[in-house]
Amino acid sequence: MKINIIVFGQLYDMTKVAQFTINEVDNTEQLTQKIMERFPLLSEFKFSMAVNKKIVHGNTILNNEDIVALLPAFSGG
Amino acid sequence: MIDKKKRTVFKVGAITANFIADSIAAHSRKTNIGAHDIFLGQVRSDLIEDKFVMAIEYSAYQEMAEQKFYEIREAAFAKYNLVCLHIYHSLGIVKVGEICLFVFVSSTHRKDAFDACQEIVEQVKLQVPIWGKEIFEDESSVWKENK
Repeated sequence: MKINIIVFGQLYDMTKVAQFTINEVDNTEQLTQKIMERFPLLSEFKFSMAVNKKIVHGNTILNNEDIVALLPAFSGG
Repeated sequence: MIDKKKRTVFKVGAITANFIADSIAAHSRKTNIGAHDIFLGQVRSDLIEDKFVMAIEYSAYQEMAEQKFYEIREAAFAKYNLVCLHIYHSLGIVKVGEICLFVFVSSTHRKDAFDACQEIVEQVKLQVPIWGKEIFEDESSVWKENK
């Protein structure tokens, strides 16, 4: 099982990569844990998650090849 | 006929006064319109820790943003009696004093245009995954926070 992660805004300043993959996770809680292990600096930021372009709240089941976006607070306009 | 085609919202760089003027002129043939309301967002030279903002660099999760813009359009057409609606947002660098957001709402009577325009601007700021990086004279930068 492979999840594609894309990173935006100030979170990118922390990860220095715009996208990466994480394997062997079943849900967004496990995914968050693995992301934090890889990029500990991200734990200092508040961000939301979109799974396949939809914002998710609470723990969410993931499927193979899902695209998960890490979204800091929006500041358009 | 209601004009609600899906369009690309993003424009690279500033939204020019000419583009806005041409958009207004293009509506003269829609004779059921009695009111337009226009919102223009302009890049402001904020003073942050003794440095003036010179520009904002916008980035976006474009695929999700286009979908959100579409949902905001659909919700506005469902709630208000609109003839047409256009939203444009900049990507990339927009200098201080230039326009970065253009919302153009047209209706038969003024109230729908006023109310819809205000709600659309608020929804764009709240729901659309766009980020602004404020760039200072010395080329340092800070991520913008919406108030």
